[in-house]
Order: sequence, then structure tokens, then C-alpha cells
Amino acid sequence: MGLVALAVAGFTSACDVTELTPATLIPDSEAFTTAARIESAVLGVYESAQRGFYAGAVQRGYPFGAANVEQGDMRGEDMYNDQLFYEITYVGSYSPNSANNNGMWISLYRMINRLNIILDNLDEAIANGVLTSEEGNEYKGEMLFMRALAHHELLVHFARPYSDDPSSMGIPYRTFGIDDVTKVPEGEAVGRTTVGEDYTQLLADLDAAEGFLPEGGAFRANKGAAIALKSRIKLHMGDWAGVLTEYNKLTSKYAVTANPATPFRGGNSSDNIFSFVNSAEANPGVNGALPSMYGNPDLGARGLVKISPLIWRSDFWNAEDTRRSLLTTRDGRGIYTDKYQDATTYTDPNVILRYAEVVLNAAEANARTGKLAEAVTLLNSVRSRALPASVPAYTVAGLGNEDGVLTAIWNERRIEFLAEGRRWPDIHRLSGEGKMAGVPSKVASRSVTNIDFYTTDRALSLNHSIEYSNSRFIWPIPLAELQTNVTAPIEQNPGY
Amino acid sequence: MKKVLLGFALSLLTVMSVLAQSKTITGRVTSAEEPEGVPGASVVVKGTTQGTITDIDGSYSIQVPSEATTLVYSFVGYLTKEMPIGSNSVINVVMDVDVKTLNEVVVVGYGTQERREITGSVTSIDSKAIENLVSPSFESQLAGRAPGVQITTPSGILGAAPIIRIRGVNSISSSASPLIVIDGVPVVSNDRSSVNAANPLANINPADIASFEVLKDGSASAIYGSRAANGVILITTKRGSSGKAKVSYNTSMGFNEEVDRFDLLTGDEWVTIANEKLANAGQDPLAFNDVNTDWQDLIFRKGFTQQHNLSIAGGSDATKYFFSLGYTDQESPVRPNELSRYSFRANIDHSISKAVRIGTSLSYSYTEIFGLNNGANSLSGAIYNATRSLPNVPIYDPENTAFDGYNVTANGATTGFGANLAGPDNNIPNIGFVIDNNLYRSRTHRAIGNAYGEIDIITGLTARSQIGIDLTMNDDFQSLDPRHGDGRSSNGSVFMAYNPAFRWNWQNTLNYQTVIADDHNLNVTAGLEYQFTKFYNFSASGTDISDNFYRLNNIISGSYNNQFSGGGYAERGFDSYFGRFNYSYKGKYLASFTLRNDGISDLAIENQRGTFFGGSVGWRVSDESFFNSELISDFKVRASYAEVGNTEIGTFAAYGGYSPVLGGAGAGIGYSAIANNNLQWETSKKFNVGLDMTIGRVTVAVDYFTNDIDGLILDAPTALSLGVPDNEISQNIGAMTNSGLEFRAYANVINRGKFSWDTDFNITFIKNEVTDLISPLTSTYNRTEVGNPIAQLYGYQWAGVNPANGNPLYVSGDVIVQYNLQPDLPDGTRRSGYKAYDPANPGDVSVTGSAPTQAYLGNTLPKWQGGWSNNFKFGNFDAEIFTRFSGGNYLMNESLRGLLGQGFSNNHASILNRWTESGQVTDIPKLYTGSDQDMWQNSAANSRFVEKGDFVKIQNIVLGYTVPQAALTSAFKGAISNARFFAQVQNPFTFTGYSGLDPESNQYSGQLQFGVDWNVAPIIRTYTLGVNVGF
Repeated sequence: MGLVALAVAGFTSACDVTELTPATLIPDSEAFTTAARIESAVLGVYESAQRGFYAGAVQRGYPFGAANVEQGDMRGEDMYNDQLFYEITYVGSYSPNSANNNGMWISLYRMINRLNIILDNLDEAIANGVLTSEEGNEYKGEMLFMRALAHHELLVHFARPYSDDPSSMGIPYRTFGIDDVTKVPEGEAVGRTTVGEDYTQLLADLDAAEGFLPEGGAFRANKGAAIALKSRIKLHMGDWAGVLTEYNKLTSKYAVTANPATPFRGGNSSDNIFSFVNSAEANPGVNGALPSMYGNPDLGARGLVKISPLIWRSDFWNAEDTRRSLLTTRDGRGIYTDKYQDATTYTDPNVILRYAEVVLNAAEANARTGKLAEAVTLLNSVRSRALPASVPAYTVAGLGNEDGVLTAIWNERRIEFLAEGRRWPDIHRLSGEGKMAGVPSKVASRSVTNIDFYTTDRALSLNHSIEYSNSRFIWPIPLAELQTNVTAPIEQNPGY
Repeated sequence: MKKVLLGFALSLLTVMSVLAQSKTITGRVTSAEEPEGVPGASVVVKGTTQGTITDIDGSYSIQVPSEATTLVYSFVGYLTKEMPIGSNSVINVVMDVDVKTLNEVVVVGYGTQERREITGSVTSIDSKAIENLVSPSFESQLAGRAPGVQITTPSGILGAAPIIRIRGVNSISSSASPLIVIDGVPVVSNDRSSVNAANPLANINPADIASFEVLKDGSASAIYGSRAANGVILITTKRGSSGKAKVSYNTSMGFNEEVDRFDLLTGDEWVTIANEKLANAGQDPLAFNDVNTDWQDLIFRKGFTQQHNLSIAGGSDATKYFFSLGYTDQESPVRPNELSRYSFRANIDHSISKAVRIGTSLSYSYTEIFGLNNGANSLSGAIYNATRSLPNVPIYDPENTAFDGYNVTANGATTGFGANLAGPDNNIPNIGFVIDNNLYRSRTHRAIGNAYGEIDIITGLTARSQIGIDLTMNDDFQSLDPRHGDGRSSNGSVFMAYNPAFRWNWQNTLNYQTVIADDHNLNVTAGLEYQFTKFYNFSASGTDISDNFYRLNNIISGSYNNQFSGGGYAERGFDSYFGRFNYSYKGKYLASFTLRNDGISDLAIENQRGTFFGGSVGWRVSDESFFNSELISDFKVRASYAEVGNTEIGTFAAYGGYSPVLGGAGAGIGYSAIANNNLQWETSKKFNVGLDMTIGRVTVAVDYFTNDIDGLILDAPTALSLGVPDNEISQNIGAMTNSGLEFRAYANVINRGKFSWDTDFNITFIKNEVTDLISPLTSTYNRTEVGNPIAQLYGYQWAGVNPANGNPLYVSGDVIVQYNLQPDLPDGTRRSGYKAYDPANPGDVSVTGSAPTQAYLGNTLPKWQGGWSNNFKFGNFDAEIFTRFSGGNYLMNESLRGLLGQGFSNNHASILNRWTESGQVTDIPKLYTGSDQDMWQNSAANSRFVEKGDFVKIQNIVLGYTVPQAALTSAFKGAISNARFFAQVQNPFTFTGYSGLDPESNQYSGQLQFGVDWNVAPIIRTYTLGVNVGF
């Protein structure tokens, strides 16, 4: 009996079964204690940007692994939805509960919180000597660039365009991280500032980022990326002089590639300013990756999204344009983009910022300010590289007036950035300005079943337009956002 | 199959006797315990229902017909006695106590207790009723057997775990499943497989189980303290008894079939429907008549099922043993799902001396499950795919040898088009090819065992130490064909994983029992318990495989171009110090108290410990001298109160920080949880009052309970735009209450000659209400809000079809709106969208309307449920009919909504009722391609598809024939001591108004999402023949 008691007592003292710590979680207090861990945390922001949450799981490349492209294309008319996969976005039947708008909102703010937590901790890491101030500032620049990128994506989907009315409702712009229960009420208090205030903050973040960031390759945030994003944002604001200012900072560093396919073959050409990397181990997967969803079924892809016959048959896209041949494939049922090719391991980077965009932004800014010749020169620098010498370049005279030049620039953007998700932001800003009436009619979902819809004048069934005044022009705020903010719920977009 | 809801009423058969009476017999019934007379005993003329009941002093008087030969004397707690009448007119009887029932011993956790002394709410279930039934795991057969215990088998996939709820849903985002304890060892109840549903309880051979005890109220379960919030199921396996070895062999064989199939369109019907969807949107036809295919023929089958169990039990006075071997192989009606299990058990008890005992319970099982992809919206999900595949397309194409003769497009992307100009929506593959070629295999080795030693230190004082282990070694294999289906995109893939879980549990108890001054019974238990559990796993996978040849059995080095690996580790610890004090005075006044202090590693160190107590009192009124009823022979009232906790709150629930994340840019760390060091135990306050009563032959138990759960550990949602990991923080927020009434009555209704009829009925009424939350908890179909039961259906309110134009109508605020289904005008003007609906001018679509709004559409938890078993014996024949019922709940028929889809997919046959002409009144709008979201409001529940879930099921019908002893003796000369043949059918009939396959179908098993029938496999009907033989 005594022995048993002794044994029990001995074992008990050695038996600390409850003093355990998780093997898979680095505590908050230890996350910023070494330079290597801070680098890891920064990589974690890239991960959240490229592989965010959709419907409660890491999948489908939200927000910037693939989904920004897919949603941006599916809201427009130039890429065609052949299946139910993107039906809700394509036909515009989203609601406060539907998954795509929810996924975009959730994954963008998740990314924003990750980067804000790092921003909140960098000064202390510098003060403690964990990082030099130069290293710390580079990280700040990266995080501020990402913050602007994410908030701008939110603005184009969930808010009315700046070009219409900067005083309309924006989105909550988050500038501090939430990593403690006590910070929740302060976070909830951040409401929907105006679109104008949000754009001001975007520029503030990017100006700071430009100052902090070094030059660098396209796979990490870099000075050129901050400048290019500013050119995009100033275009949305109608700040034409600003667009040109940003363009001029980049002319000596980047160049449009002679072969229009080059920016999509490795992602580190002279045209590539910023891209998110996908790898065989970390990518949007079979249900999200661009090569999977957009590629040709004959090449092992799924072909759920095709190029729309609308743009393929348009008269503004020259029949001899090499972007028709070098960047597309076809089967008996349609024509597919060939910008993304790895349908097995999905390693195509997601191209976010290209110099060609900055050039066309500058062309538009020139045209808007009466410098039509400069505008057409820049336009031709993109267009003519894809055409045989036998096709004459555009001239101001040939295009007529400012409207003609602008239309040509906008059409060129549709061709050059086809399948890159840029169509929706253009519809957004141009509709706000009254240059477009809203989302144009699209080829009806599922109606393109044969290659002859592209190669003949077979009638196209048109549907799914959304006039600018319709509440569906912008996405609803997720219902859960409104319900779970207990202290200061933000306002839903009208009509939802 | 059309089903009708039938009303059921409990009716007791009464038989009027009109026999002539010619003789009066008087006498007295006494016993050693009650020498002054046994009141209320029954005296019946054998072979009739004619009888009387003894008076307070045990005396009786009965008139018997002249041809009567025997009187039968019976009373609860005594052995039934038969006395020949002969020529006697006075017959006095001394009855013998039935030791078995009087001292019925109930396992109560760290010990046992006599049934009559129990003051908590404990229901025992004898395994006899269920041991011959065929099912992958025992718990599904407990459904309806005990009041307050709800067990639902939500699908027909073998390996999918049934949902067990004891006295309702008792947690919101922590586990709501009970603690399962096998021979004193709390077992791991985590499904360790990552490729299949692999219910861990399916590793246990049901034939080894002797009894189940369900601890329901706080007092009964309080000895499990922090683990008792959801009730406790104690399982005791069979053990030997002294005597000659008894060998028994039980077997049964039969087949499984699906209870029902979906009613789909034929190929020809579908061509009309598909083209009408397109034509209404201004598009050309894509579908053309060819064949009529029912793809369900491919996925369903009659699955063969068999089970064999051999056991040997026996022993000497010092050593007792029980050995068993078990084998079962069950094929689900859904191809290729199959479960097989090999099991072995050795239970040994040995007395070293009068004061020292040792023993073990050891079991090992090997379970192999072949599963499938049955994702509700997976393109290769069997049910989804078979119900969507185009019915005018052939399954096979014998010349297409590259795809094994299946009808598949040349590039492997989808099913062949047949005569159509387009393939099925989302390029779904040919499910026949998928089922034949994709493998989902999980194998589980499970060892559960314990060893104990017991020493009687002084009279009445016993020390016991028990070490138990539960080891699960699960390995997974998934292999996808590169040619077609889920594996095509990666050009084939193989995946293997090893997912062990290991637990040890060490319990030390001291028990002291004594009787003081003859009348005071004391039983005191004190103890300590430690438990540690480790979960770990690693996996390897390869894609882009070089040759299909290598992929079929295992991952093979060098056979793939891309390789991946993964792994994880978690551990949980638990310790406890506890005591229990039971007291009874003359068996009349009963009291029990328990106290427990527990620690758990999931909480921050400063908040790890919680103290839990419980107490109960009972009063056996029938033992009081003033209690004087001829009718009521036993009457006990009891009351209990306890505070218990819930340990299944999530591994390291209170901890936060950064987890490893792998992105395209490299391996980093990502903020993945907000720490909450203040997280505390969640506690349930359980109150119970009950009574047990025997009235004549009928025994009744009634319990009323409440369970107030406070400080719920909730994954409290945060505003999405805060970007907090998973949009939630673990917090002690919220409260919920369950209250209910349980009733059970059982009786030997008839016991007449060769015929006897026993009946056992139970019903439970439960009310659940969430009383505090931080904000509503909303998922796709359900919403939980203060003042309502958990997980109500929430969504859009259907208002019918506009007879003027076929547009769907929905409620928006307090008006009705219509969604106009029309293409854009040639100038690009949009005509579709929500429009105002004016009943006076229903065709007017000129005024823009608001979007539909959401409302509560029904509760998903049954309000009442129960079971009714009837056992009949006639000579050597026996029969059982077991009925189960449940209702008061609603479910969302998402399967039907999906099958009324507007894409290029097959549809439910009811789509033939679609609107086609002005003035037509119907419940299916005008068909319109691609309009699913606007027509059916797919992103939430929809009242159009919300139906009542009430049902009555004939759960089992069993017929048995026991071979007469004489026949066995003459045929086998004693080599076979007993033999019984039986035939049984499980799930033969369901009576319900629900239009789907089964009213218990459920896609979700959690608490916050519930009541959604969404492409789940139909439940199983089983026919078997079998034999039990004893040697």
C-alpha cells in the first residue's frame, strides 16, 4: 500500500500532462524577434495574397493568386463564361450571401490584417536592433504597396467609381492590425470613409512605399511596382498629369516586349513590373488556377472560360495581330487564351502590373490633355509590335479626334490585357465618368458551343448587361460583415 | 415512392375472458424478505389472462375454471413461480428473490451501482436487441432505444459517423458529441482518415459489447466532470464467467440496397426541358433525342453483406476469460463503398488471492474502408454526378478503348456529348469511369485495452489502478486516374498518409463501502486520473504520373514527376482529482455527491483548472410504511443538480500566433489565431427530476430536465473586414438552454402459454433556446440568434410563380417582387432583374423592384422523438418490430433545388410542371438557362424547398426460430447446445411527408449548420438471414 502510494506520488509529480504548448504556433511575442522570422512573416503576406480564403478554406487563388483576374474578366464582356462556375459573377446575380464577392472581401481584409500587424511591429524590431532601419523600411514599403493594392481591389468591386463622385461611400481603410481581443472595438469603429478619402490614403501609402522600396524583380514589391500602381490609381482618379508623372519615372527602367507572349513566359521580362508567384506546391489549385480554368481542354485544362466571340469578331482587333496567334489556342468549341499554360502544376505567375499598362495609361492621359500625337505614339508602341509591318500604325488623323484616339486606346487595353482581369476596372471608371453606360451585354452564358461562333457571323445571343445606375453595378457588402460588427456596423450598398 | 404520414397510437391489447368459473382458490404470497406478505403480486391462471393481484398482506382470492391446472405468481424483483392447482383450494406461496434484477448492477463510471440505488438519470441498453443487426458501427443501432438519446444516420456511406446527441445540442461551436468510455477507457473519437469518412467507432466489433449505459443528467455524469457536458456513453464488453467453456458462433448474410432513388427525367423528357431553357433565353437548341440513360444505375447496386462472430467464454473460480474473433464485410449500395473489419478480443480476470485481483481487456481491430468522392458539389461526387449527367447520352462507348469503353470525349475533359451539341455543365466526368478507376482507401489498426489491479486493503476498502491505451494507426491511400475525372488535371495523382493517434489514460481509485448500524449504506470513491493524447500525421503525394500501371496499390517511388509532402502534430493533456459519496438509508433515502477538479492543456496555464460538482437525492416512496398501494409496487422519486464542463473545445483553443504557410514566394509564417488567455471552462448546469414506478406489469420512468450552458466557448465571429484569422476569436460568450421531458414505459403485455408480448416505448420532448450571443451566427442555410433554437433555417421566402409570365415571386420586405427572366434587348438594354409585382396587373414588369429579403424558415432540431419496440414469442418463434419516430423539425431540400437547376444538366422529374403558358398556376417558373441564382436564390435557404421532417420508421423487423432442444440433442448428440435461425430487415418502411429520399438525410453534422439534405447518399435498407449456434 505504501509502495503504491509512493509510486503514485512519484509518477504524479512527473506527470505534467497539462502544461503543453502548441508545436505549430509561434506565439505573438516571438514572431518579430529575429530578422529571419520577420522575413517569414512578410512571406506570409504574399501567401495570404496569393492563397487566401474562399468559402472557409484556402482555395481558388483569392484574392491575387487568380481570382482578381477571373472576377475582373467575368464582370466584363471580353471573356466568356462557358460553365456554371463563374455564372453568378458573369450574369450579375450576386447577393450579400454569394460566394465570390464574399471571398474577395474576406481574403483581401485577411491579407490587409496580416500586413498591418507587421507594419505595427517593424518600428519596435528596428528599435531593438533586430532589423536595420534600412531593412525595416524596405519591409514597410512592401507592406504599404500591398495595402494599397488590396484596398484598391476592394474599391473597384464594392464602391462606386471615383470618376463619378469622390464623396460617395468608400470602403473601410484599415491602417492598423488586429491581433488582440481588445483591439476589436477600435477596428469595428473604422467605417466606410468616402471614396475620395480612400484614394487619398492609397496615394499616401504608395508615396511612402515608393520612398521605402528599392528597385527589384517583379516577384517582390519594388519601387517600380509602387509607381505603376500609382499610375493606375491616378488614371481612376482622372489625375492625368499625375499619370504622366508616374509614367516618366519608369520609361528608362522597363520596356514593352516585342513578343506579346514574353511577359507570360516566366514573368520576369522587361514588361513585368509585379507578379504574384505560383508554385507547384502553392497555387490556386484545379478550381482556381488560371491555366486550369482558362486553358484549352485539348491541352489538359478545363476550358471553363473562353475568349468571347464579341472581341474575337470585333473590327478593332486586326486579323493579323500576333496576339490572336501567339496568345490563343482553339478546339472545336471555342478559342482560349494561351497566356497561362501550366495546366498540370499551375505554376504560371499571376501578372499584376505590366509596363504596357503604364504606357497605355500614359497614352490615355496624353489624349485627355489634348496631346493626341503623343498619345497615338504610345498607343502604337504597344499595338504595332503585335502587327506585321504591312499593317499601318494608327495616326491621329486616321483616328479622327480625341474621342477616336481614346476609343482606340480603350480597345487596345481590351486586346492587350485580355484574360488579365483588367476589363472590369476600366468598365468601372469609364462608366462612372459617363464614357460607358455600364456593363455591356455579353454573349449569353453557355451559348457558345462551337468554333463557328468565332469564325462565322453566326448570331450571338446577348444578355447580362448592367446599366451604371443599377445597384448591381457594384457588389454587395457580405451580410456577415454587417451582422458581426456589433458596435458600428457599416452601411450596405443600396439595393441589396 | 410515395409516402404517407400515418398516425401512430400506443394501444394496449386487452383480452376479455368469458370462460366459465367454477372454483375459488385463496392463499398468501410471502417471501423471505417480506414475510408479512408480498403486496401487488400477480396471480394468473396459466395460459389465460385471467388473474388477480395480492392485497397488502399478500393474500389473494381467485376464481379458476375447472380445467385450469396451474397458477402463475409473479412480481418485480422475484422469480416467477408456477404452482399446480390439483385439488387444493388454498395455495400459499413463498417467492424467491430474483437476484439478477434486484441487484441489477449498473456501470456508472469508476465503478458500479445497484440499479435501485441510482438517483441520477441512467439508461441501460442491453446489447441483445441489436447484436445480430448489420451496421458498420454499434451506435447507429442505439437510435430510438433510450429516451433522450438522439442518434441520426445521415447518409448511406459506410464509414460516415452517425450524429449522437444526448438531451439535445449542448454546445455551439465546441463538440456536442458524448464522451464514449469503453471498459473504463475514454476513447479517441476523432476521425483520423483524410480520404474517407472513417468513423472511429466502426473499429469496435458490436458483437463484443455486453451493455451500454447512457449517463444523461448531471449527477450521473458528474463523475466525468469536465467531459460530461454532452452526456457519457459507457460501454462494457463481454466477460467470462466460471464454468465450462461456452462457444458461440453467430453469422448473417444478406444485401444492402438504397432506400430510394432520385426521380429524374428520361433522356427524351430532358431534351425538351433543356432546349426550352435555351429557347426562353433566345438561344438555339443544344440537346437532341438519342437514348434514355439512368446514370443512377451506375452508382447503385445491391451490396453483399456478411458478418461472422466466434466467441469462447468460461473460466474457473479464480480465472475467467472471454475471447472473440469477428469478421464483417459490408458493401454499401453506393459503389464502390465497402467496409470490412477483422477484430479480436481477450478479456481476462484473475483472482490472485481473495484480496488481490488483476485483469485485462484487450482488443485489436483492422478496418478497411473503400470510399469514394461524394462531395455534394464535387464534379466527381457520385450522387451529384449521377443526378446531373445527361440522360440522353450513353454511358458506354465500346470503341473508346483509351477510356476503357466509357463514353468520354477524346481529350478526356468530360463525358461524351452523344447527340448533343454541348457537354454537361462544368464538364462533369463519366461517373462510371471514375468509380472504376479512382481509389479511396483507408485502413485503420486500432488497439484499445486496459490492465487493472485491485487490492482489498481492509474489509470494504479497495484500491484499484487501471492503465488504458487507445492506439489508432490509420493509413490512407488515394489514387486518381490521369485520363479522366479528378486526376486528369494533375495528370494522375497518388496520395498516402499515416495518421496515428495515441492516448494513454491512468486511473487510480480508492473505494470504501460499508454498512453502518444495518441501515446506513455508504459507498465512497476517491481517485485521480491522467490522460495524454498525441495526434500526428505525415503524408506524401505525387502528381503527373509516368504510368497508370504503378498507381493502383501504393505510392511507388519514381513513378511521378512532382512530389509533395506534409505533416502535423498536436497533443492534449488532461488530469483530474475526484471523489464520489453515495449514501442510502434502508434503501429508502438515497443521496449521491461528486466533486472533481480537472485541468486541460487546451486552456492557458493560468485558467486550466476547473471544479465541477454534482449531487442527487432519491426517495423510494414505496418503501415507506404509509405507502399502501395495491397497484403500484415500486415508486421512487429523484432529483439531481450538477455543473459539468466540456473538454472538446479544440486543441490549444486559447492559444494564438503564427502558423507555417507555404506560398508561391516561399515558406513563411502567417498570423493564424488570436490568443485569448482569459478563456475559461464552459460549464453546463444540469438539473433533473424524475420518477420510476411500477404499476402492475407496467414500469414507467419519467424525467424532466434542464441544462443551462453558460460561458460557452464560442468561436465568436468578428467583422470580416477586421481580417482576423478565420474571422473568429475563441471567447466565453453565449448561453443556451435545453429543457425536456422523457418518458419510458415497458411491460410484459401478454404472457400466456406459448405466447408472450413485451413492449417498450419511449418518447422525448426537447426544447432548445440560445439565450445569449455576441451576434447572430449565420451560415449558408442556417442562422442562430438569441431567443431561437440553434441553427434555424434562414433564407428567402418563396411566393410562387407569376401566372402571367412565369417569373419567380419572392417576398421583399412586406411586398412581393418578381425576377424578370428575359434577355437584353438588341441595343444592350437589360430587361432582367427584380421588378415590382402587382397582383392586379401581374404581367407588368416595368417598375424596378427591390431584392428579396430573408426570414426564418423553420427549426432544424426535432422537438420530439422516440422509439417503440415490440417483442413477440410464440413457442420457438420470436419476432421483434422496432419503430422509431421523430418530428417537429424542418429540413431544406437542397438536393431538389439543385435538381431544378437551369443549366445543361439533368433535372428532377417535377420540372415537367414548369410554367409554359399565360395563366398557368404552377410551382416551377418559366425555364431560363443560367438563371439558377435569381430563380432559386441559391446562396441561402429558400422556403420553396423547406419541408417538415416528421417521420415514423419501421426500423427493424426480426423473425427468429429457435431449434427445439430435443431436436438438437437427437441430431447432434449434444455437440450443439442451442441454435437459432433468424431473418431480418432493417429500414423496411418510412412514413413521412418529406419529398426527398429520407427525412434524416443531412449534409452537415455540426451544430450551427444543420437540417440540409444536399446530395447525400440514400440511407441503407438491409436484408439478412443468419444463425446463432452455441456449442
